[in-house]
Order: sequence, then C-alpha cells, then structure tokens
Amino acid sequence: MSPEKAPLLTVNNLVKRFGGFRALDGLTLSIAPGEVLGLVGPNGSGKTTCINVISGLYPADGGEVLFEGKDISGTKSHHLVHLGINRTFQVPKPFLALTTRENIEVAIAYGNHPQGLTDAQPLLDSLNLTKIADRRAAELNSAQQKMLDLARALATGPRLLLVDELAAGLNPGELEWVGGKLKELARTNMAIIVVEHLMGFIEQVTDRVIVLNAGKEIFEGKLTEAVRVPQVIEVFLGGAHAA
Amino acid sequence: MLIYTLFAGILFGLYFSLVGLGLNLVFGVMRIVNLAHGDFLMLGAYLAFWLYTLSEVNPVAVIPLAFVLFVLIGLPLYYILVPRLLAAKDPEMLSIILFFGLSQVIEAVAGIVFGRSERSIPGGELGRALAGFVNLFPGANMESGPVEILGQTFPAAWVVAGIASLLAVLCVYLYLYRTRLGALTRAVMADREEALSTGIDTHRVSAIAFAIGIALAAIGGVFAPFMLGSITPAMGVEATVTSFAVIVIGSLGNPLGTVLGGIIYGVSYMLMQSYLSSWANLLPYLLLIAILLVRPSGLLGRQVRLA
Repeated sequence: MSPEKAPLLTVNNLVKRFGGFRALDGLTLSIAPGEVLGLVGPNGSGKTTCINVISGLYPADGGEVLFEGKDISGTKSHHLVHLGINRTFQVPKPFLALTTRENIEVAIAYGNHPQGLTDAQPLLDSLNLTKIADRRAAELNSAQQKMLDLARALATGPRLLLVDELAAGLNPGELEWVGGKLKELARTNMAIIVVEHLMGFIEQVTDRVIVLNAGKEIFEGKLTEAVRVPQVIEVFLGGAHAA
Repeated sequence: MLIYTLFAGILFGLYFSLVGLGLNLVFGVMRIVNLAHGDFLMLGAYLAFWLYTLSEVNPVAVIPLAFVLFVLIGLPLYYILVPRLLAAKDPEMLSIILFFGLSQVIEAVAGIVFGRSERSIPGGELGRALAGFVNLFPGANMESGPVEILGQTFPAAWVVAGIASLLAVLCVYLYLYRTRLGALTRAVMADREEALSTGIDTHRVSAIAFAIGIALAAIGGVFAPFMLGSITPAMGVEATVTSFAVIVIGSLGNPLGTVLGGIIYGVSYMLMQSYLSSWANLLPYLLLIAILLVRPSGLLGRQVRLA
C-alpha cells in the first residue's frame, strides 16, 4: 500500500464459511486509492470469495470490511454500488435481451454515477465497444461480453473496482490492451483489486499482490518477490519444487 | 357446437391466464415456486363470497379491494419468507417445501374459519354488473342475462371474467414494459446478480412483484365461484396445479407467455368438457406431461439461465 495515502478499503480478519469449509480464514488486507492489488492463489484459495464478500454477494461470517473507514459489513450489494464499489464477474452476466449500449445505460440509470455520467458513448469509445453498441448482448462473444461487463461496472462510477478473472480467454493483444486500461483507471485514483490466474497479466497491472492459500494470506509484496518464497512455490507447484 | 366450444374455450383460457399470471410473475422474478398460489386464489374467492353474502357487494366491485388488500398482505409476507429463501443454497427446492407448508396452513385455517361446505355466488351478479356498465353508454339497453356472441349464447359471467382477465393481462404488460418499475422488474428477471451490480434494489422490486402476483391470484379468485362452479377451502391445490399447467405450457418465467398457455389450456378444457367430459379433470396433468416431454421450456420458452 502506498504509505502516503489512507486506505480506501480495509478488510480485517475476514471469515467466510461454506458449511464446514472455511473459504476465508481471517484474511486481512487494505488498498489505497490509485493502487492495483492482485489476489492470486490456487483454485479454492478464497480469491473470488473475497470479492464476493466485499461486493456484498455473500455475507461474512466474521471480521469487518471498512470502506473509507466506515464498516460496510452486511451492506446490500446495490447500496455498495451506490457507495462506489463495483465488480466484474468471472462469467459475465449482461442483460442478454438488451443491446450493448442499453446494458450500459441501465447501469448509468441505476448506478448513481457520482460524476453525473448520462451518456454511454464515452464508455463505449473508451472500451472499444462502439462497433457493437447496437448488437444484443446475447450475440457478443466471450471477450466482448467481458468488456461489456467492465463497462457496466465503470458506468456506476466506482472508486473501488473488483475485477474477477477478466483476462481469462483474451488473446495476447487484448490482454495487453486491458492491462493498460486498468492502469489508466488506477491513474484516475480508482483502487482496483484484480483476481487472476495469468501471472504475466498480474505482473503487468499490479503494484503488489497477496497470495492466498486456504483462505489465508501467505505472502504480500511484489510478484517478483513472491516467486522466490518457498511457501508460495509449494502452494503453486507442490512440495518437491520448494526444496 | 364446435364454434361454441372454441369461443367458450377462449373465454376460459383468458380466465386461466389470469389464474396463472401471478404464479409466473413470481417465478420469473424470484425463481421460486409459490405452491400457495391457489390458496390465495381461494382467499380471494371467499372475500368475494362473504362481501356478497353479508353486504351484497357486487363481485366486480371487489376486484380493486382484493388487489389492494392482497398487495398489503404480500409485501410483508415477502420480507418474512423470501429473502431467507433466496439466501439458501437451493431456493427453488426450498420454496416448494416452504410454500407447500404455507398452502396447507392456509387451507386448514380457511376450513376452520369458513367451514368445508361448497359456496357459490348467483351467476347473474356479473351479468348485472356488465349490463350496468354497458347501459352507461347513451342509447344502450342491455338486459342482465346471457350474452350473445357470433350467434352463440354465453353466460355473462364468462364474458365478464374473460374481459377482466384480458384487462389484468394488459395492466401487467403496461407495468412490465411501460413503467420504470417494470424495467427494473425485467432486469431482475433477466439476472438478479447483474441487477444488483447495476445498483438495483432487487428485494424491493421482488417484493412488489410478489405482492402483485398474490393480488392477481386473489382477483382470479373473485371470478372462481362463476368459472369453477363453487368454492371450498380445498380448491387451492387444484388451482395451483392448473396454474402450473398453464405457465408450463406458455413458458415458465415469461409472464406474457401465460396468455398463450391459458388459451391453449382453456380451449383444450372446453373441448374435453364437450366431447370427453369424464376425462376433463385429467387435462392439466396430461398437458403438463406432454409439454415437459416435448418442449420442457414451454411453447414460448427459452432456457432458464442458471450461470
């Protein structure tokens, strides 16, 4: 975290259980405005669960989530959108019957964009969606739906953006472009948490990463340092490689 | 005979559309199955019966009262039952169990309060309301008896129920496609999580849809003494099965598909009543099985999205 900036989001000792399984087991993290934080870890380590809890889709079973110092634990998802927290989904879920433009307009209408965004066109231009603006979301390919999902989230004017596996399925050119776009957003003081499996993408966009295993943090720092930590290597590659 | 049967089938079909409409709205918005739907219809029927019996209130005048009353019942009921259901791992299955229980409770309490004997309202009451309405227009002189359409004579009650059902469907269409609340409702129907992520208060939207769904059932109940012959506290189960058949034919989750389902059901019902009357009660089950085997998503249906 940048030492000169107060954290926008702080998560303290977060716990989420599914039956007897602790998907998040006392996770603590914070992120400052303008920072890009990567959450990495093997499948089932709690990355997406963390995003789901912060965005209000799942209630936490313990701990607290502070946004600008205020406890937002238990706040409903749509209120969090209005507070300035939004997310993308691993599997995008646009309104399939609506066009690309209409999907963004719905988010503008109900997302209470603080800067008073009234027109979808700037977002369509910014995310290269203009050519498909009048096509129904159901007709878009997977990469286009992901960009639409990002546009939908941005249309609500988030100050904290949670990005869940946006890069999966994109070609190298698209990856580089999206990475650049996220960094551009961070320069506008937006805090961004990125959940991703593609380490090259994580290295490109993040300022630091938190490595999770079994719902707990096992490393925090630069990705380049993480790959030298035996515990991280063990989690990703198995015990023999860590020796 | 055939023309009469077909036309009567359309009138009954419109009525069955009304009967199924609320169930489909609730399923479409919340993806939960309200097995107590028919019991709210039964309560609407008893509301009409008691108001007529005690104060001679014409059933047509009961419609707005039933709507307001059951919306007021539906809103708190939603917040008591549904948010917990939706937070569960398998809301659809849990909803079947929970609303089945609610259905049994409503039926038992109604049996205690109203008694188990069959009740009815004289069929001429709706005819009087129709004649009274038509005679408001200058030069009109309608008597409160059967109504003649295309040379065929139909009970006025069937015609009034058909017209009222058509108006109810039209109102639901206007609500869904011509109001801001309707746009929000359709957004929640399309995808609940996506709606949340665009800043929509899905519980508020769902509560209103749930209350409207129950109120539509109650309005269907107002016409039940005329369309179904008589009413008893146990009629709810059959009404729910009929509603289910209608919406499965039309397509689950598509409220306006209910109209197609209702008309197919109504025409089939009248054809069975005319030519194979002893088999008529099997109709909802036969149609349900046939549709589920041939086209499980319903005639107008698309796959329900689970992702």
